[in-house]
Amino acid sequence: MEHLSDKTILKVESLNKSFKNIKAVNDISFSLDQGDIFAFLGPNGAGKTTTLRVLLDIIKPDGGQVQWNLNGVNGSVPPSRHVGYLPEERGLYPDIPVMKSLVYLASIRGMEPSEAKRAALEWLERLDLADRAREKLQVLSKGNQQKIQFVASILHKPSFAILDEPFSGLDPLNQEKFIEYIKEINQQGTTILLSAHQMSLIEKVANKVFLINEGREVFNGPIANLYDDFGKKHIIDILFKAPVSESTFQGLSHVENIKWVGDCRVMVTFNQDSGLNKALAELAGIEGMSNITSHKPDLHEIFVELVKKSKK
Amino acid sequence: MNYLSQVITVTKWEFTRFFKPKNELLGIVIMILVSVVFYFGTRYVLSDSDEKIELAVCQNLDSNLVERLSADFTLDVISESQKSMVLENISDNQEGVLLDEDEAGFVIHAYKKTRSLGKIKEALNDYYQIRQGKQKGLEPGDLTQILSPAPVTESFFYTGNSRNREVLAYFFAGLMAMAVFLSFAYQFTAITGEKQLKITEQIVSAITPQVWMDGKIFGITLTGLGSMLTYALFGVIGGVLIFQFTGAPISAILGYLHLPSILLYIPFALTGILIWNAILAAIASIITDPNNSGKSSLMMLPMVFVIASFLVTREPDSSFSVFLSWFPLTSATAMPMRWAITEVELWQLTGAFLGLVLTFYLIRKLAAKIFHMSILLSGKEPSWGEVFRQLKGS
Repeated sequence: MEHLSDKTILKVESLNKSFKNIKAVNDISFSLDQGDIFAFLGPNGAGKTTTLRVLLDIIKPDGGQVQWNLNGVNGSVPPSRHVGYLPEERGLYPDIPVMKSLVYLASIRGMEPSEAKRAALEWLERLDLADRAREKLQVLSKGNQQKIQFVASILHKPSFAILDEPFSGLDPLNQEKFIEYIKEINQQGTTILLSAHQMSLIEKVANKVFLINEGREVFNGPIANLYDDFGKKHIIDILFKAPVSESTFQGLSHVENIKWVGDCRVMVTFNQDSGLNKALAELAGIEGMSNITSHKPDLHEIFVELVKKSKK
Repeated sequence: MNYLSQVITVTKWEFTRFFKPKNELLGIVIMILVSVVFYFGTRYVLSDSDEKIELAVCQNLDSNLVERLSADFTLDVISESQKSMVLENISDNQEGVLLDEDEAGFVIHAYKKTRSLGKIKEALNDYYQIRQGKQKGLEPGDLTQILSPAPVTESFFYTGNSRNREVLAYFFAGLMAMAVFLSFAYQFTAITGEKQLKITEQIVSAITPQVWMDGKIFGITLTGLGSMLTYALFGVIGGVLIFQFTGAPISAILGYLHLPSILLYIPFALTGILIWNAILAAIASIITDPNNSGKSSLMMLPMVFVIASFLVTREPDSSFSVFLSWFPLTSATAMPMRWAITEVELWQLTGAFLGLVLTFYLIRKLAAKIFHMSILLSGKEPSWGEVFRQLKGS
């Protein structure tokens, strides 16, 4: 095993894992530095959860290497005291009081029960759930249960946290709150590996992105690079007064993609060689437009396009 | 955090999750209430059996027999002409019994066969034996002598196999059966419940399956022991109370408590319960949906071995009993039972105990492997093939 630099806390090299004849993870490599918020993205069944389970030593890989360098502990197995995990498949003890469950889950990761109780109370107060600490989890709403689950994964103040779909089941207001919590624990020194489907939320927090599809790497690098690659593109959203035919757009140059959203709305992607003005000038000749807007591709659009490309 | 402190944390968690003193006491109160209801209910139901049965007897019966019958029955001596009327009454009203005698022997007329007829037959047998004896020239006293057993005085060098010791041996087996039954219930609830709650992934990301398995085994064993102790204590108190009511001296209960046997039973039983908890945890981990799994019946397997241990009391020195007291799945109960009622050499005790400890060590390792393989398979049960491949590979 090579020696990792002080900055690198996790390095994954040529990771492979198959289940019978299905290659769930196919030769992927990436690394995380201290302080990263690393977005691990991919469609359903892409191999995300399998990768996360391998990282946590829940399952063994068929090939490749996982190297941890966390709080001075090196090796292929992460030190449980310094790692937090919010699994995609949520589950806590429904018939046990909230506080008791939280203290237990922090205790098995090595936190002193008294310290865990103090920390749990602080979090519950922040989440307006302090008065429900003695209640059984099953009497809480689904959203509140989700909050408790989040607290359970970071209560022991881990140096590294894996959050698999942390926003699912939350309303938009709580999603925004969770973004703030994630940023906050990151600022306090927790490196985060985040897997989620809400691209608009990922954009707000992540500094690195790894895109996986059918077990293979599709993109790996700083999120800024991803935007740079797609930065010269423009998506022009046009609303027509009446339905238009495909032939309306024939003859336009530098068009990379035309996406129909109903009969009267079209999203036209111009490639990076074409400037916005040139594109708009070309569109000016089309009649019947009621509204026209332009935007750079967001992460969701980039994600969809990259996944499509990787399938071709 | 090291292995030991993690196991202790999980053990405490599992123990406090399941052992609720309030529930234990409630269980005992319910048990006492059920026993009281059963006792008085049975007495009430059987009270009518104390009443004398009404029996019609024909005039032609021997007066000695009539006298013998009058001790147990309310007799109505009838004439030959009344016989048909009595038979009609039995047939129509389904009540009454008529006893008659013809050339072939006695005839009992009743609407249907009932237990009370046994008493009539018993009286007839007594009378018949005396009558036959008289015909052969024997006096009733002679007949009693002929029918009495041979006078035998038994003299033994080993007197440990008393009735009290046998009761203690059964008590050991009973307690073990209870512990295994409780372990079955708790392991089943704990593991299949956690699988269905999908909490397993969170836990195994923090601790190894071996730690989790060991914590569960120890925690639920402690729960079982807690229940065993509670019930044993109440059993002794109940025994004292029964002795009090029956007039026997309370100190008589001490006759049942053979301290060396009890001291030997504790480590054997403890290791045995640990083994069964490990096996039950492994079985529970391969069951995803307890309502629809064909593997659920496997959870009853331990009871077969515990029940087999009861056979030791029949012939404690037979080869089969010796085998049961050595075989690790039965020795936890069978060896202390043998020790209580017969002579067992020290090397046998030591060997069987070491076998038990070694079996526990190996089974907990094996159980953790099966557990690890199975716990993450939510929605899908591992096939027998997968389980055996895992066993082979371990």
